[in-house]
Amino acid sequence: MDSQLLNPTSLKSRFTARFLRALTKINAPNPISSSSPTPREIFQRYRRIKVAADKSMAYSVRSRTTWSRATLSRLRTRSRHRRLASFGPRSSVTTAAVLKKTSSHGKENEGGLGVQAGELRELVPGGEAMDLCNLLDETAHYIKCLTTQVQVMKTIANLYSLE
Amino acid sequence: MELNAGTGGNGSHKTASERDEVAALESLQFTDEIRRLMSAPGGDNASSFTALLELPAPQAVQLIQSPDSAKLIAAPAPAPAPAPAPNVDDFRGSFQFPFNCGLIDRAARFSVFAGDGNINGNNKSNSPEPTSYNSSASLQKPVKSEPAETESSQPLVSDPTVENRSVKRKDREKVKGSSKKSKTSAKESSDDAEKLPYVHVRARRGQATDSHSLAERARREKINARMKLLQDLVPGCSKISGTALVLDEIINHVQSLQRQVEFLSMRLAAVNPRIDFNLDSVFTAESGSLMDSNFSGMVIPMMWPEVQLNGNRQQYPQQLHLDAFQQPVSGREEVCNSYITPENSLLSYDSSGNSASLHSNQLKMEL
Repeated sequence: MDSQLLNPTSLKSRFTARFLRALTKINAPNPISSSSPTPREIFQRYRRIKVAADKSMAYSVRSRTTWSRATLSRLRTRSRHRRLASFGPRSSVTTAAVLKKTSSHGKENEGGLGVQAGELRELVPGGEAMDLCNLLDETAHYIKCLTTQVQVMKTIANLYSLE
Repeated sequence: MELNAGTGGNGSHKTASERDEVAALESLQFTDEIRRLMSAPGGDNASSFTALLELPAPQAVQLIQSPDSAKLIAAPAPAPAPAPAPNVDDFRGSFQFPFNCGLIDRAARFSVFAGDGNINGNNKSNSPEPTSYNSSASLQKPVKSEPAETESSQPLVSDPTVENRSVKRKDREKVKGSSKKSKTSAKESSDDAEKLPYVHVRARRGQATDSHSLAERARREKINARMKLLQDLVPGCSKISGTALVLDEIINHVQSLQRQVEFLSMRLAAVNPRIDFNLDSVFTAESGSLMDSNFSGMVIPMMWPEVQLNGNRQQYPQQLHLDAFQQPVSGREEVCNSYITPENSLLSYDSSGNSASLHSNQLKMEL
């Protein structure tokens, strides 16, 4: 069974390590109060887990790709929003302004693919400010990372749900 | 006079209108006026005056050299001929610049600009993306088209004004002399492209050599290459033909992956109310084997230990030696059991020696 050892520094293992760590952190502070947590608690945990998944994936990629940087900055801004509500409108305005400035340049040569390119830009984080060429690169890397994420999370969920 | 037409539309000089004006100017033999204009200092680069200036120099070169424009120049020459006669003769006689130093200076200044601008910017030698003049981007198009069109036209041998450009043109002719190969083989000519404002890209047979379309083509090829990679990445995409449909498929795939992540995180939130396990032991023991399709193998050992449920419950704290377990184990055993299981399975690969005891530990607590 141990014959298929993966590269310990691969994306998958990096992500798994970080994600599991985050999971334990999320799950740790809950005392065994009730056998079935309330939906509200579940929802809160769901959100935290989702953020942890995205964050650990973005950290595993470091800053090599635009989407990872965009995700990390988005997460940081959001956490800052939560903590300091007063800073929220300002940061969102500035980021929007920056994005609008940079987005108009590289999008001239899309050919007839404007609609799809726009949709792709919405899906891939940080995609608004890229031209089609780089956007496709980022999409490829993003798909690869998403696939890894789904695989690992599915496995963990299967493990934990074997009761 | 017609000069007003040239300077009249000062506000918005873009390529089409500029070209028209230049053509009009040329055809009306306004060399004198042009010379006067050009001998004036540079002024502000953003103004349409310099726009007008920068355009006619390369355009003029091109217009003068191409045989069609020569006819164009020659034809109306007799008609209005208010302009200085000696220049007209020069035009008609040889394909040389009739000018004086004014235009020469300006042209030299252009090449200087081009050279400066291009030293920084010429990293992509495959696509002709020349330089950053401080003029608007629209001017680059006629400038770019100039070498391309002179490629197709007759080579100019004696060209005192645009010295730099003639050097480049000779290079291009040398390069072009060989058979037409694919575009990327123009790399050797791109060696001196760092100093030169033009990127030499060899066009394939039967394709337009217009530098603008060359840039477009380079871009399209890059995009197509990436689309192919994406098609391989997304399952079920290789059969689809047509970029738009492939992109739709890719978008669907990304959306489904994102939704899957959301569902899985919801599942994780609901499913494991409490998982504590000591990560150090998990990860030092089996750094790689956790992550594989071995997971499916893990499920199986979980199945059969149901036999030894009762006897082995007490063994958990010792055998697993996970610190995190101590507290929960002490209190509530039935709840303990439910979450000890995952850790058992995670650790199941490390000590393959005591597989028997481990398997007994991997109880599913169906108590």
